[in-house]
Amino acid sequence: MATTTPNYGWPVPTSTDYVKDGATAIEALGDAIDATVFGLPSAGLTLVKTQTIGSAVSSVTVTGAFSATYDNYLVTISGGVASTTTGLNLTLGSTATGYYRGGNFTSYTGTTVSGINSSNASSWLSASLGTTTSIDGRFELYDPFLTKNTKIRATYVSTVTNGESYVFGGFLNDSTSYTAFTLTTTSGTLTGGTIRVYGYRNS
Amino acid sequence: MATTKPFIQIDDLVREMTTEEHTAYKAQQASNAAAQAEADAKATARISALAKLADLGLTAEEIAAL
Repeated sequence: MATTTPNYGWPVPTSTDYVKDGATAIEALGDAIDATVFGLPSAGLTLVKTQTIGSAVSSVTVTGAFSATYDNYLVTISGGVASTTTGLNLTLGSTATGYYRGGNFTSYTGTTVSGINSSNASSWLSASLGTTTSIDGRFELYDPFLTKNTKIRATYVSTVTNGESYVFGGFLNDSTSYTAFTLTTTSGTLTGGTIRVYGYRNS
Repeated sequence: MATTKPFIQIDDLVREMTTEEHTAYKAQQASNAAAQAEADAKATARISALAKLADLGLTAEEIAAL
C-alpha cells in the first residue's frame, strides 16, 4: 500500500506493493514533485561566488562577480585576520580614479560622530576593516555591471576595543561595466576569511 | 633570493606582485594615505572645534543646532 514522504507528502510505494504498479507509482511521484517544485518561490538573494582569502596577501581580486543576471549585489567579508589593523580599500576592475564617498564613524570610546569624505579618490577607502582578530565588511554595489555609475553603501565594525563602527555611501564616477573587484590593505596583509558575493534578484 | 614585493591574490591564485603591479600599488597606497590623512585631519579639527564650543559654554543641544 502506497505511503507518503515525511516532508512534502509525495506518494511513494512500499516494499509490499506489486512491481506491476511501479510505473504508475513513479508517475504519481513525479507529478507530485513537479507540482511542488513548480510552486516554490525563487530566492530573492542568491550566492554568486565565494572566495577564500589566502595567506599573507596584500590584496584580493574577485573575478566574475558581476554579470547581466543581477543589477545589484551584496558582498560580505568575514573570518580571517589581518597582520595589523588596516582599512581594506575597494576598487572595481582596474579603475584607480573617480571614487567618491561620504559617511561617518563613531568610536567605541566616545560619542562624537566624525564625518569622513573623499572626492575623486583612487579607491573607496576603508570599505572593510581588518584587525588582528577579524576581518569585517559588508557593502552593497548597485549597477556595477551596467554602463552607468556604480553606487556603494558600505559598513564595517572594528574588533579593537578602542575602534569604531563606520558607514558610508558613494559612487564611482564613470560608466564602465565591471565584472571584478579588489580589496587592498592600507598596510599589512590578510590571512584567511571568506568573501561572499550575493546577487539581488531583479524581478 | 628574498622576496621583496607583497603577495596578491586573484581568485585562488596567490603570487608575488610584478614590478609594474608593485609600482602601481605603491602609488595607490600613497594616494590612499594622503586621502586618509586629509579625512583624519578634518575629523580631528571637528572634534577640536566641538570641544572649544563646549568650553565657550554652549550646550550639546546648542552645538547640535549649529
